[in-house]
Amino acid sequence: MSAARPRRAEPLRRPWGLWGLRGAVLTYLALMIAVPLLAVIERGFSAGLRAFWRELANPIAFDALKLTVAAAAITAAVNLVLGTLTAYVLARYRFPGRGVFDSLVDMPFAIPTLVTGVMLVVLYGPSGALGSWFHAKGISIIFARPGIVLALLFVTYPFVIRSVQPVLLEAERYEEEAAFTLGANRWTNFRRIVLPAILPAAGSGALLSFARALGEFGSIVVVAGNIPRRTLTSPVYVFGEVEAHNERGASAMSVVLLALSFGLLLLLDWRQRRRAEVLGG
Amino acid sequence: MLGSVSRGASRSAAGFLSLVLVAWASGGCRRETPAANESGLSAKKPVTLILGGYTTPREVYGKAILPAFQKEWQGTSGQRVQFRESYQGSSAQARAIVGGFEADVAVLSLEGDIDKIAQAGLITHDWKAAPHGGMVSTSIVVLAVRPGNPKKILDWPDLTRPGLNVLTPDPKTSGGAQWNINAMYGAALKGFAGVRKDDRAAAKDFLKRVFRNVSIMDKGARESITTFEKGVGDVAITYENEILIGRQAGQKYDYVVPRSTILIENPVALVDRYVDQHGVRAAAEAFVTFLHGPQAQSLYARYGLRPVEESVAKENASKLPAVQDLWKIDYLGGWKKVSQDLYGPEGAFTQVFSELGSKR
Repeated sequence: MSAARPRRAEPLRRPWGLWGLRGAVLTYLALMIAVPLLAVIERGFSAGLRAFWRELANPIAFDALKLTVAAAAITAAVNLVLGTLTAYVLARYRFPGRGVFDSLVDMPFAIPTLVTGVMLVVLYGPSGALGSWFHAKGISIIFARPGIVLALLFVTYPFVIRSVQPVLLEAERYEEEAAFTLGANRWTNFRRIVLPAILPAAGSGALLSFARALGEFGSIVVVAGNIPRRTLTSPVYVFGEVEAHNERGASAMSVVLLALSFGLLLLLDWRQRRRAEVLGG
Repeated sequence: MLGSVSRGASRSAAGFLSLVLVAWASGGCRRETPAANESGLSAKKPVTLILGGYTTPREVYGKAILPAFQKEWQGTSGQRVQFRESYQGSSAQARAIVGGFEADVAVLSLEGDIDKIAQAGLITHDWKAAPHGGMVSTSIVVLAVRPGNPKKILDWPDLTRPGLNVLTPDPKTSGGAQWNINAMYGAALKGFAGVRKDDRAAAKDFLKRVFRNVSIMDKGARESITTFEKGVGDVAITYENEILIGRQAGQKYDYVVPRSTILIENPVALVDRYVDQHGVRAAAEAFVTFLHGPQAQSLYARYGLRPVEESVAKENASKLPAVQDLWKIDYLGGWKKVSQDLYGPEGAFTQVFSELGSKR
């Protein structure tokens, strides 16, 4: 064993090999992610901080941001609850069609979001199969705020499920089995044993779906109606400002979306590291 | 997993990135392109023209005018001409061309978009010196309604009726939407919208009352009429030719011509920089001339546009309804003034949505 140890460490001592790989990866990361992000940030602040705030204080921009954050928060909350339950059902129950269901979960990632939007309009639009029923009751879904949340729920569907499922599948079953033998029913078992174990993963999934929802464009632009101060979300606002040659306004909004996403990412990273320390320690 | 987060954020920035990349790529192209060879040497080789157009005339160009010009050019020069066509919203197309999409001929919805290309130094000739002031086709802003006009929409003031659902595209992205708003604003100023004549505040208030009824703003005129075709909305403000083409494709809707409306004038210009780079000036110039000629003009008419050539316009006059009070953009002071007065940071339309607020 002691003889094997230095040999295993040897590759680390070859600095050029290591730097070559590390350099290539870092250059790739910089070119693909960091430089474009910096370009956006630079544009956003190009006319100074005051101009930056003025762009955001514009009521249309501000309302778009409020709507986007609220819709993303609702989406994340719904995903947190229903995604966790879905993952639990998929991991702990055996029923016919489970395999098909399990692979259906990933479909939202494979469908172009624009198609998602068109599909929702066909289904929930005023003359659609489900929409006409709601329409008769005076509830509008498409071209109104509920449509935005509906589209976001579809697009972010897999996040919580795919975060929680592996944790459930890898978890040791003995605690659950012990609880059963002590007379706990399924619900008590889920609440007292399973939930505490999967909550961090569910939280991560919810944060991811929040971040993803902030930036969603393709489906929203079709289903929302895009009326300023009512159904115009930030990403669609950004698109409009780009088209209208107001790059500063578009960049300012992009910087805010970027900051929100990046902040969440840091939060997520910090949580995961702390969890690893707790588990490792 | 972490990649997914940044994916969401970077999507909103994609517009800029593509701009940066396009600009960068076009910079590279400019340096590499060899000198133009415009002599008779290439006369027998097929020539390719790149057409950068806006969305509504897609059918008339793709199905009628381009094939007709191919025949004509083959006859006069013995050279085959091929077209590569791109259609998107007028402003987006103008920006693409400025950004490096090497269109030889720009076919756009409004003068201001051609001006953007000229300001970028890509069009160096005086494009408005061409026949008809550089315009090749015209149309008018009208109101599409359901068959039989069940909501009894007869003129602009009816659009403000509470509870009506009105469709019009987003003026930030659509040239057609700007024509619509110009038409309403001008008609109001002229006293045709039920508000006091020559009163800018009243005209703005009229816009506000119309937009209170607008619940969907699509990105372009074509998308907007498609939404209408899906059964959404009571009335769609749109180009007359958009309706006539829809009807040719089997759609069922009626249209109402307001008493006062604006004449939409669509310009065409060849893009000097790219034409010379590609060495296709002779064919491109012949194409633009062809568009002003009687053959192309009657093809425009067949696809629902109003011709600019007087003789052709007269022939077709009986097919399209007359307008009581038809005026041009000059009435509002020209495009430059309109983009300030209506769409600028303090413009009348810009204020409409700020003032309408989120609850209606």
